[in-house]
Amino acid sequence: MKVYLKHLGLHLKSLLEYKASFITSFLSQIIVFFSYYFIILALFTKFDNIKGFTLYEVLLCFAVIQFGFAFNESFARGLDHFDELIIKGEFDRILLRPKNILLQVCGYEADYTKVSRLIQALIVLVIALINLKIEWSIMKVITLLLMLLSAIAVFFSIFLLAASYCFITVQGLEVRNVFTAGGKHMAQYPIGVFKKGFVYFFTFIIPYAFVNYYPLLYFLGKTNNPLYALSPLLVFVYLIPCFLIFYKGTKRYASAGS
Amino acid sequence: MRAYLSYFKLRFITHLQYRAAAWAGIATQVFFGFVYIMVYIAFYESGSASLPMQLPQLITYIWLNQALLSLVNLFYKDQELFSLVKTGNIAYELARPKNMYFMWYFKIIGERLSKVVLRAIPFIIFLMFLPEPYRISLPASFEHFLLFLSTMTAGTLLMTSIIALYPIITMHTLNEKGVVGIIISISDIFSGLVVPIPFFPKFLQTISKCMPFQYVSDLPFRIYVGNIGLQEGLIGLIIQIIWIIILITLGYILMQKSLKKVVVQGG
Repeated sequence: MKVYLKHLGLHLKSLLEYKASFITSFLSQIIVFFSYYFIILALFTKFDNIKGFTLYEVLLCFAVIQFGFAFNESFARGLDHFDELIIKGEFDRILLRPKNILLQVCGYEADYTKVSRLIQALIVLVIALINLKIEWSIMKVITLLLMLLSAIAVFFSIFLLAASYCFITVQGLEVRNVFTAGGKHMAQYPIGVFKKGFVYFFTFIIPYAFVNYYPLLYFLGKTNNPLYALSPLLVFVYLIPCFLIFYKGTKRYASAGS
Repeated sequence: MRAYLSYFKLRFITHLQYRAAAWAGIATQVFFGFVYIMVYIAFYESGSASLPMQLPQLITYIWLNQALLSLVNLFYKDQELFSLVKTGNIAYELARPKNMYFMWYFKIIGERLSKVVLRAIPFIIFLMFLPEPYRISLPASFEHFLLFLSTMTAGTLLMTSIIALYPIITMHTLNEKGVVGIIISISDIFSGLVVPIPFFPKFLQTISKCMPFQYVSDLPFRIYVGNIGLQEGLIGLIIQIIWIIILITLGYILMQKSLKKVVVQGG
């Protein structure tokens, strides 16, 4: 873990050498992120709800998902670009070192411009929370924390699966985007608003619904069932097979680099 | 002119080679189309009084966007032109006895067309056989279709004129992520790729009219679905042509200027 943090520190230092370029990239990331919630803002000027969810409720959901995604994009960048690691043969170097493989992969590259998304996601979260009248209780605080943590976990597990896939195909496929970017786009809205088939897919195959729908219902007081509040825990269970698959992949790995 | 056309042809043929990538691209675009449509359907089912577009119009708009994405997308990530600037290989380009701006212009357009030409038509035919409500509709009328074709052609030229500016800007900033990144993200919003322009708040619609981006794709697509009348569409076509002239002149002059003081990076 210490090595991982050192890796991150080094990346930051090297980035700050090019200040102007860092600042402009940071700015452009802010605008990119703005375009994400711009969709929601624009549509809510024409509609007043989506299947009973109001603007701030959707923004809350959006913020949680984007937080989880941005966290992984910032700090698990190497996993996101895993195909590059394999193609360049960098992964061989990692395997040679006597440290945890996964942490090294994650720390291989850190993208600090994506931190701007993380900050914005938190700002949107706070704005949504201020505008929603929530009767706070300890259980609800726990629910919110679980939602945020499980958002990180769900994207981390998808990244892991996508990376394991690279062991077989070497080249990362565009199909991966379907689950990360496409799934993320849908999960910005409470999954329950979509058609049944999609809801099942995003509950049982990729557990977005346990991040942004069931706990959200509890959090907003739409249900009193405490099981809903604890459902994000299932996402952590989902992480286990993803880890196993990844490690199995590393065992079978045959180098592609020169 | 013949030299430029051969640039166009070269690029066109090279990119036709990537067929597997093309099919994977189509699959992804179909999926994304569905995702966007599902969100809109959920909104439309929740009901609202005043809607700027009907649902079938909107769905057709989204599908056109997906099918013709390469012609309208102002996002440009092809590293070749950027790395020319960054690695210093631009020196080789300079050695060629042709105008560099137009060389780049034809390269970009050839590459983009190759991505669309073979796949757009089967893609759209496939979309016509989808079950309701996901099916793509036919053009509003024959006149609308003709106007769509002309504005789409102008839109493609406009797209190229905008993208041709990116490497020129990179010659000054030496990093395609900063300033160019900002332009790309603004254009993403204002070209209607994120949300169709009619869904914008009023003041943003006004701002959008002063920028070239909505004339790349929003205009032709809305003509196709009949959201814009023929007369208004013709005015749009004229505005497109004006923008193309402005941007090409701008790009040409900027290129000449920056070539005068070009510093070749790398050895």
